[in-house]
Amino acid sequence: MQEEMDLYRHTDTVNELLARYGVKFGIYKDKTFHEQLFPFDAIPRTISAEEFSSLERGLRQRVDALNAFIRDVYGEKHILRDKIVPEEFVYASSGYLPICEGVTPPKGVYAHIAGIDLVLGKDGSWYILEDNLRVPSGASYPMIARELCRRASPKTFTGAHIEDNRDYAQLLRRTMDHVNTGGMTVVLTPGRYNAAYFEHSYLAEQTGAHLVTGSELRVEGDYLYFIGYDQRKERVGAVYRRISDEYLDPMNFYEGSLIGIPHLYDVFRKGNVALLNAPGNGVADDKGIYYFVPKMIRYYLGEEPILQNAPTYLPYYPEDMQYVLANFDSLVLKDVAEAGGYGVVFGSKMTAGQMEDFLRQLKAEPRRFIAQEVIDFQDIDIMEDGERVPRKADLRAFVLTGEETMVWKSGLTRFSRDPHSFIVNSSQGGGFKDTWIFSR
Amino acid sequence: MDILSLENTGRLYWLGRYSERVYTTVRLFSGSFDQLIDQVSEDATLIDRFCRSLEIPNIYRTGEEFFTRYCFDDQDPNSIYANLLRAYDNCVTLREEIGSETVAYIQLALYALQKAGRSSAPLVGLQKMCDNILAFWGMVDDSIDSEYVRNIIKIGKRVERLDLYARLRRPAADIRREAHRLAGRIPRTGLRYDEERLREIVALAEAEMPDWALLLERVEAFLEGAT
Repeated sequence: MQEEMDLYRHTDTVNELLARYGVKFGIYKDKTFHEQLFPFDAIPRTISAEEFSSLERGLRQRVDALNAFIRDVYGEKHILRDKIVPEEFVYASSGYLPICEGVTPPKGVYAHIAGIDLVLGKDGSWYILEDNLRVPSGASYPMIARELCRRASPKTFTGAHIEDNRDYAQLLRRTMDHVNTGGMTVVLTPGRYNAAYFEHSYLAEQTGAHLVTGSELRVEGDYLYFIGYDQRKERVGAVYRRISDEYLDPMNFYEGSLIGIPHLYDVFRKGNVALLNAPGNGVADDKGIYYFVPKMIRYYLGEEPILQNAPTYLPYYPEDMQYVLANFDSLVLKDVAEAGGYGVVFGSKMTAGQMEDFLRQLKAEPRRFIAQEVIDFQDIDIMEDGERVPRKADLRAFVLTGEETMVWKSGLTRFSRDPHSFIVNSSQGGGFKDTWIFSR
Repeated sequence: MDILSLENTGRLYWLGRYSERVYTTVRLFSGSFDQLIDQVSEDATLIDRFCRSLEIPNIYRTGEEFFTRYCFDDQDPNSIYANLLRAYDNCVTLREEIGSETVAYIQLALYALQKAGRSSAPLVGLQKMCDNILAFWGMVDDSIDSEYVRNIIKIGKRVERLDLYARLRRPAADIRREAHRLAGRIPRTGLRYDEERLREIVALAEAEMPDWALLLERVEAFLEGAT
């Protein structure tokens, strides 16, 4: 405890170091781009070796099932034929991309990098809040924070038996190399003004990959090339893309995309480049599909889910709609098309007028929303003006699927700085913590 | 990294140029401002001469405005702040080429400049900014493994310095030294450049009284289309 205290005393030092290295995120306010530092709190989330072992098994199980689901949905469709997941539910999902039908990515991996959001309930159980299988971000922050915490307060870590989380870059590199079809590895960013640009550039540096924008890549014949100075070309075998599906390739997706690479998807379809994560994954991290993940685990793996979903209702089903209407005040409602903490509303916090508008929308488009019980999750202390104060916090765990499914022994713990808020997203003023996994 | 894109080549080159521009113009500015300190009444000619030497418009009505806007106004495209922001914008896109430790010094220079703008002793703050730029150059030499990458940043620095020295009519020996440094390094970069114009630059720099206008024109033109 004394050692921990030493680190807490250095919170400002660590934040100064984070500023030194430009650990920021971008945000648009009033149509203007701003860079903000991501506030760091030095009190870590701690997870015992035993607890992590159970979490690890649960996360691997979940991601294995999600990968199997995506493979199945774009392939044989057993789960739809067996009516475990309603067909129309999949096809109505905005994340379902018909163009991905029958296309198998290199080595059959779809979700190479999964960011799974969890909270720890007051009952001591972990609950899954969300699966992020498209472009989950956030691993770079605890990774660099650990480096800087060790610098600021080495004695905190001496003999503390904390798993070293600075191996994330190696895990990511192994994941990329596993599916690389031959050639260089690149991190594809939308550019300097993307919210997560720091992460893109830091992960490129740490993995030894090239950071590129779409204008630096070109498809020629059946292959993708990096175009060097003087038009020198080098084949690209793996693209860790941090661009969403619709902007990846203007010839196959949104034709107005200026940041994509024409015909990239054609090269992928022929198996000549790996895209991490694979296009079309949105079908499995849809907030509505989330409801079915425990069923997927039973269906594909023949196992009982180790980790629980937060109790969730789909207004799409009439009986669930009835429940939602009857218990509106105690539920949190989420728009399945939104992310980043947007589109999340608490029934208890709506005015009568807001509720009326919302219910009208809900009845008109029931597929668009899910409702969840508000999990009474454990607060985590943060330091504020020299005092320890409790705040809501979640955990984003990172699961990487290459030759094997690996759970990173750390994670991004995000917290709300507002004592009255459950929203932890950085874009809405949240901060972050390191996540310590004890090795024994 | 054995292959660089045209975009990153340009960013490296301009990172070198803007960093050097900030550093050299701060030193020049500090000299001019020092002379202003001794003036009982404000000497508009001094500010005018400074602006003319850098070919920037004299939009400053008073010595105080000159000091504040030229140093710290991000809306003034010719300010030190605006030039440092351009260096920063190039720098943050090059993290995987030059490394986080190197990027950090341009970030620190920017913080130092922002802090100087709020300080009661801003000239001292400017010195801290320059310290960070010098540390940045130290990191370029010390921690960037790729000679190719190092050379491109340094070519940016050399071109900018020669350009500024020519504008400022620095002594012939300084011009000569910079021209030779440029000519010695550029073949090692792999950049496309106009060899004939480079030879002219060296010849012009050898003259006791260089043709300043022609020299400037050649410096600006010999890398045309290369970055």
